[in-house]
Amino acid sequence: MSVVGRLLDRRLGPGQPLRVLSASGQLGNGIPEAALQAGLAREPHVIGCDMGSIDPGPYYLGAGRMATSPAITRRDLRLAILGARQARVPVLIGTAGTAGAAPHVAATLDLIRGIVREAGISLRIAVIHADMDRAWLKAMAAADRIRAIGAIGALTAAEIDGAAHIVGQMGTEAFLRALAMEPDVILAGRACDTAVFAAVPLLLGYPAGPATHMAKIIECTSLCCTPGGRDAMLGTLHGDHFDLESMNPARAATPLTVAAHSLYEQADPLHVQEPAGTLNVAAARFEALDDRRVRVHGATWTPATQPSIKIEGSSWIGERAVLLAATCDPRVIEHHAGITEGVRRIVAEIMPGETYDLRFRAYGSGATSLFPGAAPMPTPGELFFLVECIAATAELAKAVVGVAKQNLLHFGFPGRLSTGGNIAFPFTPPEIPAGPAYRFSAYHIADCDDLASAFPITLETLR
Amino acid sequence: MRLIDLARVIRSKNAGPLHLTLDILFADAAGYDRAARSPALAAPAIASLYGVDPATVAVIPFPAAHALKVVLDRPIVAGSPGDADVYGAQQHRPLLGVIL
Repeated sequence: MSVVGRLLDRRLGPGQPLRVLSASGQLGNGIPEAALQAGLAREPHVIGCDMGSIDPGPYYLGAGRMATSPAITRRDLRLAILGARQARVPVLIGTAGTAGAAPHVAATLDLIRGIVREAGISLRIAVIHADMDRAWLKAMAAADRIRAIGAIGALTAAEIDGAAHIVGQMGTEAFLRALAMEPDVILAGRACDTAVFAAVPLLLGYPAGPATHMAKIIECTSLCCTPGGRDAMLGTLHGDHFDLESMNPARAATPLTVAAHSLYEQADPLHVQEPAGTLNVAAARFEALDDRRVRVHGATWTPATQPSIKIEGSSWIGERAVLLAATCDPRVIEHHAGITEGVRRIVAEIMPGETYDLRFRAYGSGATSLFPGAAPMPTPGELFFLVECIAATAELAKAVVGVAKQNLLHFGFPGRLSTGGNIAFPFTPPEIPAGPAYRFSAYHIADCDDLASAFPITLETLR
Repeated sequence: MRLIDLARVIRSKNAGPLHLTLDILFADAAGYDRAARSPALAAPAIASLYGVDPATVAVIPFPAAHALKVVLDRPIVAGSPGDADVYGAQQHRPLLGVIL
C-alpha cells in the first residue's frame, strides 16, 4: 500500500491528533539532525520541507540557480526523504531549489535521483511545475485581471516576454492533486509555504483555518520559539485547535513567541492571503500547555470567490562589476560627494556613447539606508566606497569601474593633501566581475479560473 | 522615555520585495500600551522619521504579541539597481532615536 493510502486508511480526521513534522524551513542550509530524529521518533503522519523564498532577491529566480550549496542540499534532501521512507509517510517539498522555476526543479530532481540510486531504493515522485504560461499571462494582463501587489509597474506583454523566468505560487489545490496520485515524495516548484504543510490536513478533512494557521507557524520550523532556531518543529492538529512543540528540548514555544511569529515578514499579521482563500487569525488564542508547548485556537478561513495566483518574475538587466576601496582621510571624506560626481563626469568623457549604470555607494555616510529622507549619519572616521556598474557586457562593466578606480584614486579637489591617492584598496585587483544582474519584473496577483491547469504534475518512478 | 529602553525587539524586514515592515515588540502589556498610545509612533511621526508620505505608512497594533507593526512601501524593489538592503533587515535605525 502506498504511504498516502496508509494515511487515508488510518481513520484520521478532526478529533484525532494529526502530527505534521516540519523538517526544514530552508532546506539546503543544513537540517539539524538530532531534532529531525527526535521528530521522526514521534511518528509523524507527514513530513514537510520548504526549500525557498523570494527574500534572497531576483538573482536566483532569474539565473535559475540555487542559493544553497549542492552538497548541503543533497545532504538535507537525503535526511528528509530517507527519514520519511523509514517512517513510511509522505514527504512534501515546496519551492524546489530556492526559487521553484524549471531549472531549480530539475536540479533538485537530479540530486534526488542521485540519492535514490545511491540508496538502492525506488521512489514515486510527483513533480508539480510552477512556471507560468506566458500566453495565458498576456491574455490575463490584457483583460485587466492582473494587479500589482505594491509599488511595481504594470505587468506588460513586454515584461512578460522579457523575463528570464516567471513562476506562480501554488496553493494546497496543487498538492491535493499530487497526493491523489499517491506518491512517496512531492517535489513542488514555487509554492506557498503554508500549502506544503496544510495539504495533508486538508486531504484528511481537517478544517482549513487551523490547518493553515498551523502550517503558517511551522513552515519556519523553530523560529517561533525562544531561543529561535532551525530545528524541526512538530505541529499536532486536533481539529479546531493545534499544539506546537520544538523537537529541540532547548527551544520553547510560548504564547508570546508564537504570537510574535505571526508578525514575521508579513505586511498584515492578521490576514494571510492564499490562492484559494484568506486565513484570519484576528481571533486566535495562544495558551501554554507547559513551559515549552503552546495550544492555538481560533483561526478561521474564508474561501476566495475568485481564486488567484501570486506571480513572480525576474529579468536580466546586464552584467555587474564592482570596485572595493576605502578612505580614512578627513578631507576626502568631507568632499566625497563632490569627488564621486566629478569621477562620474570624467568616466562619461572617457567613454562617450557607452550605455552603463554607474553607482557610488559611500558606506559610513548612509549607504545602507533605503530612505534618503531619514536623518543623516554623523561624519565617520573612515568611508568605504562600493562602486558598482551594470552594463550590457561584463567587459564594459569592468572597463567602467576600472576607469572610475583610477580617477577616484587621483581626483583633485580643493584642499587636497592626499596626492599619493585618495583611496586604499584592500587587495588587488580591486575591481571584480560580479556576474549577471537581475531585477524583479513581476510581483503581481493574477486571477485564475483554472488552478489545476496552471500547475501541471508529472509522476515518475525513480530507481 | 526612550523607545530603545522600553522595546525588547526593534527590527526591520521585507514583506515581499515591495514592502518593508518594522516590528516593535514589548516585554509586556504595560510597555505595549504606553507605546501604542504615543504619538511618536503614530503614522505621521514615522513618516517624518523616514522622510516619506504619511499616506504610505500603516501602523498596525498587534496586542496579542505586545507588538506594533509598521508597513512602508520600499522606495526601490528589493534587489533592483540602487537597492541597498536586499532583505530589508537594516532599516530600523530611525526608530532607535524615538522618544515616547
